[in-house]
Parts: sequence; structure tokens; C-alpha cells
Amino acid sequence: MDLIQLLLNGLSLGAVYALFALGYTLVFSVLGVINFSHGAVFTLGAYFTYLLIGGQAGANGLLAGLQLPFALPFALALPLAGLASALVALLIERVAFRPLRRRGADSLLALISSLGAGVILVNLIQLLMGAESYAIPIGTLGALPAALSLGGAQVRTVQVLLLAISVLLLVVLSVWLEGSRSGKALQAVSEDPVTAQLLGIDSDAMIRLAFGISGFLAGVSGGLVGLSVSIAGPYFGISYGLKALGVLVLGGLGSVPGAMLGGLIIGLAEAFVPAAWSGWKDAVAYGFLFLILVLRPQGLLGKPQTTKV
Amino acid sequence: MDAGLLQQMLIGALLGLSVSLPLRCGQLSLATPGFFAIGGTVAALLSTRIPAFAGTGATSPLPALLLEMGLGGLLAGLLAWAIGGTVLRLRGIYLAIATIALVEILRVITLNLPFTGGALGIFGIPQPFATASGYAGFTLVLLALVCWLCARLEQLRLGRAMAAIRDDELAAACVGIDTAAVKLNAFVLSALLAGVTGALAAHFLNSWNAKVGSFDASITTLAFVVFGGSRTWLGPVIGGLVLTALPELLRPVGDLRLIVFGLVILLGPVLFPQGLITPQALHGLGHGLLGFGQQLRGYGHQLLERASGPRRP
Amino acid sequence: MSTAPLLEVAGLSCRFGGLVALHEVSLTVREGEIFGLIGPNGAGKTTLFNVISALTPPSSGRVLWRGQAIPHSRPDQLSRLGLARTFQNLRLFDSLSVRDNVLVGLHRFAASPLAAGLLGSATVRRRQRQLEQRALELLALVGLAEEAQLPAASLPYGERRRLEIARALATEPRLLLLDEPAAGMNPAEKNDLCGLIRTIRDHFDLTVMIIEHHVPLMMRLCDRLAVLNFGERIALGSPAAVRHDPRVIEAYLGSAR
Repeated sequence: MDLIQLLLNGLSLGAVYALFALGYTLVFSVLGVINFSHGAVFTLGAYFTYLLIGGQAGANGLLAGLQLPFALPFALALPLAGLASALVALLIERVAFRPLRRRGADSLLALISSLGAGVILVNLIQLLMGAESYAIPIGTLGALPAALSLGGAQVRTVQVLLLAISVLLLVVLSVWLEGSRSGKALQAVSEDPVTAQLLGIDSDAMIRLAFGISGFLAGVSGGLVGLSVSIAGPYFGISYGLKALGVLVLGGLGSVPGAMLGGLIIGLAEAFVPAAWSGWKDAVAYGFLFLILVLRPQGLLGKPQTTKV
Repeated sequence: MDAGLLQQMLIGALLGLSVSLPLRCGQLSLATPGFFAIGGTVAALLSTRIPAFAGTGATSPLPALLLEMGLGGLLAGLLAWAIGGTVLRLRGIYLAIATIALVEILRVITLNLPFTGGALGIFGIPQPFATASGYAGFTLVLLALVCWLCARLEQLRLGRAMAAIRDDELAAACVGIDTAAVKLNAFVLSALLAGVTGALAAHFLNSWNAKVGSFDASITTLAFVVFGGSRTWLGPVIGGLVLTALPELLRPVGDLRLIVFGLVILLGPVLFPQGLITPQALHGLGHGLLGFGQQLRGYGHQLLERASGPRRP
Repeated sequence: MSTAPLLEVAGLSCRFGGLVALHEVSLTVREGEIFGLIGPNGAGKTTLFNVISALTPPSSGRVLWRGQAIPHSRPDQLSRLGLARTFQNLRLFDSLSVRDNVLVGLHRFAASPLAAGLLGSATVRRRQRQLEQRALELLALVGLAEEAQLPAASLPYGERRRLEIARALATEPRLLLLDEPAAGMNPAEKNDLCGLIRTIRDHFDLTVMIIEHHVPLMMRLCDRLAVLNFGERIALGSPAAVRHDPRVIEAYLGSAR
């Protein structure tokens, strides 16, 4: 494989990891908890996209043979799937996080209950859609050609699209966080919830916002990955979710640019693992993660932890 | 009850105890399935490659099983000791993520080593017991022993130091506790127990592959402890028994069973933030029926507290 | 017997970002005295305690223990050397009983091989009973013998303060740092505490360093006093001398405004 293809593979994979990690980061920065249902929401986004473009449910689920009466173009299906995923994320916040937060419970508990929510989602998908894999047909992209010529090399349009949309979302999100009123309010809540409350920021609303956005990001990246490499069954989000944990810590927990840098590094590193060593590819992210935790626990761009006496 | 299911439940209880040991000094380690996998791999390799371990009769010799459990535990413990010093400097969620990474790295290594059978794993592991009941009886004795040791630990210097670190690590250091050493002890004990359990489980399951030590297993075993309660030795045992049995007991509801299982994990922390077994409840159990009433009252209080609204803004 | 003071703080500075918490603070604490540390809020008193007990690294300067620099000090190593402290905002082990809080303080003296402990050998059990006895004695000293079996979290505020002192004493310190032990107490309780601190000093033959806001109490209790203001030591000496120091009067009047 030539360099450009490898580079593009790495970049697009990295961008997906970054989107994923950002979803974790948003929730982590306001609640201090890793939301383990995030991978399931990603999976859900892929299935939503598949159904919205007019895909048919396979033979093994309760919805066997079901097909929506309409088929949306991908450009419309993707954001809609993102919105639907955001709603599910909000629902998860409502049932798995809020009751515990109200009681000031140990954050460990939210980790478990969010996992419960993830288990429910994944098995619900399996129940309804069966365990089979689904492919989003390339024809969905309409007039776009299947491959593009880039600097003399042939690359898949899907990957260019994946990279472009991911980067766009990352940029929009950063600009929003730094530039807008609500983005700044969200940051204020993550810095110091008590002071933010005193300043009149509704921290509950900010938490819902964080869940909504992270659900949207998960849904969209799920749809994009589904288009790019097909949906490998109800569990396919989990391995991405795990790798994204690595990305998260590599970049620095709670740091938005860190999540992007971490995604980039791990995506590229995985893409450049020689084919002969492909069995070890999955260890790359965790190897990096381990190394960074030993050398610089706060991550590449994170702030060091301080303990108060 | 089906002895095979009972055996799985007992293994679940042992793993729950393994996860609870670091947690008793406030360290959220999810490494237990990794050490479990190591113990099982050791047992699987020894008993399928070395004739002395496999035996010649219908069942493999019991001393071989004990030796494998010892070696599996030892190797897991040694690894924990080697990496613990570094990993345990991390706090909270960082430690959790590092241990998830450890489990995944071990999984990829097992998958790629030339002698561990790749994705399919190792098959035809010889059976030291002819029946599932034999396994269950043996494991029950092991579990009873481990429970007794864990209960003793609470009365000992190490156990008290662990509880102190869990409550306030800094204050513990200021009264002269070498917190790093105590945390390392707990981590190594946890790995040891997981390794021993893995060796036993490999024989019972008859085959062993890299999938055994996965992220799913990390989270499931953690759920045992959170569900059962992490402040007593009984909590993780009950959590391990119940949550292992649950998907099987739910078989009648068919495809819904894993969804119900998810619901239990989702609602468990919400309804019982301390876990099913609190120290008060355990104390109560010790006092027989009178104690049972106290336990109910404890739950009543919890319910009342919940009904009376949020304690903190 | 060396002639070096028990504790010497030399040119100690501590900065957090742009904030100077301590600036070139020097003082010595002699064996057997009750040494007071007073000063307005934010003067750096607790920071000084934190540096002495190795919780906060100093930016510059040294802490000498009997004239020797303390090598690579961690809080637990200092504890073994003979330093114990209490905390301004109380740090008890809330899930443990009152007695077990003190038993944790006796950690160092309970050393036994883990295996022997798990199996509960006769020696281990005898040692355990001795330690429990010792814990009860310490609790009796601070007036908490009756409460030994209660959860530490259930104690009222003043008793929590005394439990923290008992826990610190369990480590058999040579130097005891008390950070605002009288905070939140009423005048009668403060008086009792004064008596308790003296008793402890005499009974255990130790040295006490104490931070407290209540100046009259400190004047009565302490053999010598240091006054901190904005991270600098502005006075040091007997209560009488400090009381009349113009810089001290200035600092207190200034802060009272």
C-alpha cells in the first residue's frame, strides 16, 4: 500500500478515535465520570443511519425484514441519526446518571450504571436487528465516485468523507467551546461546578448539553464508520470505545485538543503497523497508553493533578 | 441446582473477592480478568503439554491441579508485583484505565504467542474431577478458605491499613502507613487469587483462550463487587454468585435475559448505592434473626433516606 | 545526647504559582516546649505545617530534624522518625470505629508476618490484645473511652478533634503538630483542651507545635510563639515579648480592619 493511502487510513481512523474520545471528554469534564455506554450509542448511530438510508433489517431480529417507508440521502440520514443518538444519550443521563448525582454518590457507581445502560442498548439492538453485520451501500453517496485520485494515488471517497466530516465536527466543537457563551459556560462547570452555579450557570442544563453533544458525536461517527467499514454486529462499537479510552488518556483527560492529538497519534500508529505484525495492532493503542501513564500521567496536553491538603 | 452453574457461580464469587481486594484500599483496578487469564493459561499449557500433569487415568491427578493453581497464582502475583509499583502511582480513573489497558495488552499477547493456540486457544484440558459436582465441591472449599482469610484480613494490620487508605490516603500516610506498600500488597493478593482461580477455571471449562481476559470480563467482575457491596468480604461473594447465575436463571425470558441483566446492573447502584451487603448488614447476619431485622431496618432507612429527597444539593 | 534543636526550619520559602505562601521563614523548636504559631488567616501557618510534614515540597530552604536534613522524606517515613500531626479540617477514618482509628495509628507497632496474622497464631493474638489495650488507654486519656466502639463518623465535632489527637499520639511522636485543635470549641472546651495539651506534653515527654487563632489561649499555653504574616515570620519569642511587638500589633490591627 502506498504512503498516501496509509496516511489517509491513519488520519481517518484517528479522527474517529478523536470524535469518540471527545464524547468521553465532554461528559468527563462536567461529571468526572467515564460514560461506558458511549460505545453502545456509537453502535446505535450506525444502525440508525443504516435504517434511515432505507436499509432493511435482516432475518434474525424481531424487526426482520422491516424497512422504513422512505430512504433518505446519506447527507440527511447522518445528522438525523446523530440527533436520535443524542436523544438516547439524554435518556441515559436521565436514568443512569442523574439519580446517582442527586444523591452525591460515588462516581464509581455511575460507571457501573452507565455500563448497564450500554448492555441494555447493545442487547436491544441484537434483539431487534439480529447479530448479523450490515453494510451501508456505497450507492448511498449518490453521484460521488467510489474512488478519488489524490496526488496520483487512488483513495476511497468514503475515507476522504469520513476524515472531512470528522475534522469539520472537531473544528466546530472547538470553536463552539472557546467562542460561544454556552461553550464557555460548559467549561466553567467543568473547572468548578460550585462557582459556576454561583455565577448563575445551570449546571444540570450544562450536563444535559454535554450528554447531548457527546451522543450526537457518537451517533455521527458510528454512521461514518458503518459506511466506511460496515457494521460488524451489535458489539462493534465496543472495541472503538476501548481504544478511545487510550486516546483519551494519551491526550489528557478533559483536554479537547489533547483528545484530537491522541486520536491522531494512535490512528497513525495503527495504520503504520506492518501487515506482518497485524496481530499486534490492537496492542498499539494500549502500549502507548501504558507508556504515557508511566511517563506523564496527566497525558500529553492535560493539567497535572494536584491534591489539596 | 445444576452443579455446572454452581461451579461458575463459585468462580464468580472468587473473582469478585479478587476485584474487591484493591478496592478495599480505594484502588479501582480492573486487572483481575488479566490475571485470571494468566492463571488459566499456565494451567492449560502445563496440563496439555506435560504428561506428568495430564496423568494417565480417566482423570488427571489432583496434586497436579494444586501445583498448577500454585504456579498460576505465583506468576500472576509476580507480574502484579513487577508492574504494581508503577501502575499504583496512578489514582482513580487513571488506574482503572491503565488496568483495562493491561488486560487488553495481555489479551493481544496471548493471541499472538506461538504456543497459546491463537484465537481458538487451548483445547482438551484434562479433567481432575469426573463430574461438575466434583469441581463445585472443591471450589466451595477453596471459596470458604478465601472468605475466611478475607474476613481475618479485616482484623489485621494490613486490612485496617487498607481501610484507612480507602478513607483518607493522606491521613494514613501521616500516621506512618507506607501507603504504596500496602496498595501493592492488596494488588498482588488480588492477582494471586485471580491466578489461582484461573487455573481451576481452565480445567473446568476444558478449553481456554484469550477472550477470557477481556474488557467485558473486567466490567462484569467489577459489577459483582459494586452490586454486592465492597465494604465486606460477603458483598463480592454474593454479587459474584447472583450476577453469574442471573443470565442463566433468566433463560425462561429468552432473548430478553441480557436486557434484564443490563437493567439489574443499571438499577443496582441506583437502588443500593452501598451494595446489597453493608457492614451493618453483615454484622446483623452474624446475630441471626435479630440481625436480619436490623438489616431490614437498614434497608428501610435507606429507602426512607431516598424518599426524603437529596442529601446534598 | 545532641545539642541540636529537635526541629529547625531554615530559610523556608514556598510559592504556588505567583502566590508566595512562605518567604524565608526560619525558626527552631526545642525539645519539650509548646511552640505556638499565630497569625492572620492566609499567613502561611498551615503551609508551614504541610512543609514540615512532607506533604508540600518547599520551593527553597531546609527542614532539619535534630540537626540532620531528612533524606527523601515521605509522610510515613517522618512518622517513623517521630512526627505526628492533626489537620485543620479533620481527617479521620470515618468508616472505622473510634478504637480502630487509634489502632491504625499503632500500625507501626503491629508488624507481624502476614501469614502468621492470617492464621492467628498465639503470639499475634497476644500482640493484638496489647495493642487494643493501648488504644483504649489513649482513648481514656482524651476522654473517649466510652465511645471506643462507635463509628468515628458518628462523633460530635469536639470529640472528633480529640480522637485525631489520640490517633496522632498512637504513633509515639517526639513532635506533635496540632493544626487549630480548638476550632469550633466553646470556651469551656477550649480550657479543657489547654489542660489536655499540657498533660500530653508532660505525660509523653514530647514537644508540641500548635496553630491556633485564639490569641489569649495561646498566650497562656505556649512557652514560645512565632507570628507569621503574609508568609513572613514577623516575630518570635516568649508570649510577653510577642504581645508587645509593634509589628505584631500592626499585623493584627491591620487584619482586624
